[in-house]
Amino acid sequence: MAKEMLLPKDPRYLRYPLETPFDKEKARWIAFNCSRCSVCKWVNSWQVKSARYARICPQHTRYLYDSHSGQGKCDLALAIIDGKMKWDDDPEIKDILFRCTMCGGCDAMDKNIRDAELIKLYRWMRSEYIKALGPLPEHKSLIDSLKQYDNVWLQPRAKRNSWAQDLKNLGIKDLNNEKADVLLFVGCTYGLSQELKPTILNIAKILKQNKVDFGILGDKEICCGSPPDKIGLLDEFERLGTANIKRFNELGIKTLITPCAGCYGTIRVEYDELPVKKQFEVLHVAEYLDRLVADKKINYKKELNLTVTWHDPCHMGRMGRPYVPGKDLEGVYDEPRRILKSIPGIELVEMERIREYAWCCGGGGGAFTGFKDFAQWTARERLTEAKDTGADVLITSCPWCESNLRAGGIGMDEKMEVRNLFDLMMQAL
Amino acid sequence: MAKKDIRNNDRHQQILQAFQAAVGPENVKDNPATVNAYYGDWLPPKLLGMSVPPEFVVLPNGTLETQAVIKICNRYKVPFIPVGSNQWSLTGSPNRQGTVIIDCKRMGKIHEIDEKNMYAVIEPLVTLAQLQAEAYKRGLYIGSPEASATASAIAGHCFQGMWGVGYRLGVAYRNILGIEWVLPNGEILRTGSFSLDAQNGFWGEGPGPDLRGMLRGYAGAMGGFGMVTKMAVKLHPYPGPKTWPVRGTIPNQISELPEDRFKWYIIKYDSLEGAINFMYEIGKAEIAGVVQKWPTVYYIWWWANSNEQYWTEWQKRTFQDNVKNAVGVCLWGFTSPKQLEYEKRVLEDIIKETGGKPIKQEVFDLWVPRTANNWIRDTHGSRMMRPSGTFLALRLQTDTLKYAVDHVRQGYEWVEKFSPPILDCDGPDWIGGYDFGHFGFGETDFPVEKRAEDIGDLMNKLLAMTKEDVQNGLENGIGPFLGGPYHQMAAPVFNYEHLLKGIKKAIDPNFVSNPPHNIDPNA
Repeated sequence: MAKEMLLPKDPRYLRYPLETPFDKEKARWIAFNCSRCSVCKWVNSWQVKSARYARICPQHTRYLYDSHSGQGKCDLALAIIDGKMKWDDDPEIKDILFRCTMCGGCDAMDKNIRDAELIKLYRWMRSEYIKALGPLPEHKSLIDSLKQYDNVWLQPRAKRNSWAQDLKNLGIKDLNNEKADVLLFVGCTYGLSQELKPTILNIAKILKQNKVDFGILGDKEICCGSPPDKIGLLDEFERLGTANIKRFNELGIKTLITPCAGCYGTIRVEYDELPVKKQFEVLHVAEYLDRLVADKKINYKKELNLTVTWHDPCHMGRMGRPYVPGKDLEGVYDEPRRILKSIPGIELVEMERIREYAWCCGGGGGAFTGFKDFAQWTARERLTEAKDTGADVLITSCPWCESNLRAGGIGMDEKMEVRNLFDLMMQAL
Repeated sequence: MAKKDIRNNDRHQQILQAFQAAVGPENVKDNPATVNAYYGDWLPPKLLGMSVPPEFVVLPNGTLETQAVIKICNRYKVPFIPVGSNQWSLTGSPNRQGTVIIDCKRMGKIHEIDEKNMYAVIEPLVTLAQLQAEAYKRGLYIGSPEASATASAIAGHCFQGMWGVGYRLGVAYRNILGIEWVLPNGEILRTGSFSLDAQNGFWGEGPGPDLRGMLRGYAGAMGGFGMVTKMAVKLHPYPGPKTWPVRGTIPNQISELPEDRFKWYIIKYDSLEGAINFMYEIGKAEIAGVVQKWPTVYYIWWWANSNEQYWTEWQKRTFQDNVKNAVGVCLWGFTSPKQLEYEKRVLEDIIKETGGKPIKQEVFDLWVPRTANNWIRDTHGSRMMRPSGTFLALRLQTDTLKYAVDHVRQGYEWVEKFSPPILDCDGPDWIGGYDFGHFGFGETDFPVEKRAEDIGDLMNKLLAMTKEDVQNGLENGIGPFLGGPYHQMAAPVFNYEHLLKGIKKAIDPNFVSNPPHNIDPNA
């Protein structure tokens, strides 16, 4: 008779408990099973193309100590959960937890070798930290703004619609009063930033030119909940997310499109955790326009003669799909590249760290608001990498990436222009 | 009662100030959140409460700052542990209070790659993946341990260096050239051509007796002989592409090397002896770049992309029924595609003569593209922890291929005896051929569930058994491998303990360099 197989007693080794809520027990499981293999610190070995660009974690690269890595955060979580340390034992715990840009680089590399969710672990840790010690002073303005105005930029709700005034004659639908198949979810940053206003105007023009039946929510649009989600204010995330899903479902839209990578990742992936379920498809504008490009519906009129490189925003790339252990870390990688290649006169050259192993811009996880020096240091690393490709322009499609990369570039000896994908498209139309 | 904070201690403050003066205040830390990240890994000690956090973590930059740090450790008689990239701190977890971790995070430069003379001069943080990437661009290469290419290249060279291409290149430690090295007492030693010209590392020997053997020995110096801050390592001609070929998305990446220069075979035999005989014959013919007899678990450890896939496939017996007693061979057309064609013909003759059979094509196709090239440029080694949280690597030995067979057979007995807690693994027999099979390596690897109660029990039993094993070694001239305690327990087997203790006493008079590694001179 064949001998019975000796399998692990703990069923979590037989199958990762993806469906269970992310609680203390799950956090401990992930932290406990960190083997200090250090893959969280480096680009996947197969993908390392040079010594210069071999790192994946901005925080660990900048602050050097292992405590500032995925492995170090696992050690910290384990010490806290097992009662060996308390949140207020050491002021540096705040830096270890909150300087992280939550870019998911460590998480993606880790998922190559084990079933785990490091970003969810960090989010849980941040949330527990806040429960114990309160929110960070560095995030106060962001939190106050969310509570008062439902956006992260301390701007009154009415201002959210200001960009669209210029397009009134184009007849963009107001979905508060009209019906359309597609909702263009603008997001706080595109909606309120003067610097980024041209981009959202260009997107609206491209959609109108292609007769897309779309509309906006104008000043009734509220934050998607990404910033509070990333900084550990989970109640606030739940409040905003739940309100959004209910509203979007009521609208009867078929598709929600957004040009913001942060909104995209949150609505597409993180909303799945909420009790109310989405009844619509979620696409990044790049995905939507890529379909139009594939159908040959976009007719460019100008040739641009530019060499460009594409920066993969984390929440559009490796964090743009729900995690399924063993399955590819898919994301919106190919669509923007196909769009770029479709523009006459554009040559796309790649940086060494791309797709799921891309280096973060530095602007995520609350770093843009709370730790500007580090956020901009991270951006400069990315700009240097972009410069090394020989590209004239770095293209991306995330307002946080754009703003942070531009801010990081100030004062650099070698300049690298940062532009939005849709601005480039519009230029060629 | 409030916990006593060692940081309030006067002596602690004195040492802290000394380190701060040596490396700058931002490069020394003693706070709980920092030191907490420096004492765990996959090995049992942290799980069993045997390791403790260090008192300081210090980040020197370069040889002189490292020297200053080590001199301070000697002045205050505090133990220090030098760590490389700190991937799997095999002997890098403090086992005593007051330890200083010397972390090389500020020493990550590749000083030079001399293409003509085929060597690189590197600092300790440089990983094998980084060095490989730079070498490939220049038509050169270096191996990597199966554990992972995120390991420090210097640490990898000092330690065993049982890397996947060691069959062709020799084990890693044979590739060491010049060394710049801070001894445990704080003296700087430069060997090889570094002794004449600190910028020029092309030559390894001298001056005087070749001291490189001190670093490597059987199992490396384990941080017991100070810290290497710069090393010149040999590179080798490489017939592959300038960048590593990879397609797909994590965790389903595929790597295929050019078919006219690289060719994999997985050939199975009816017995382990048959497999080893095949390895000998390949060595005699002086062909191939990689020759390995992997245990069954290696195939699935590296291949599976999730726990569910691992255990589902294991229960289907996909690998157990197909790769038992199989040998993996990768032929390399080092000089030309013609060389590959020649080696294919030679290998196919050997297969015929030795009665080998290729494994099923479907299993070959399942496994090779995703996994086999790890042996050349590793990235999946850390998957070994996935199915049960940990594994134990025991009874490593380096001798002949033939001895490796007897050695791993004992591993089978261990599995019988200690299952559970050892989990299903179909035999723990890894046998590698190095230096064209002149030298054989055996290791027995067991998956064990990461539970303190199981591992504690197993460790006690294994320790008792290892003591028996040392006795066996004394009788037969072969010793077991146990990491740090190995030298203590097994040195008498090779009768080199006096030499090792003598060296340790001479260069580490205060016994501060990662005690008790690599040997306790007073034991």
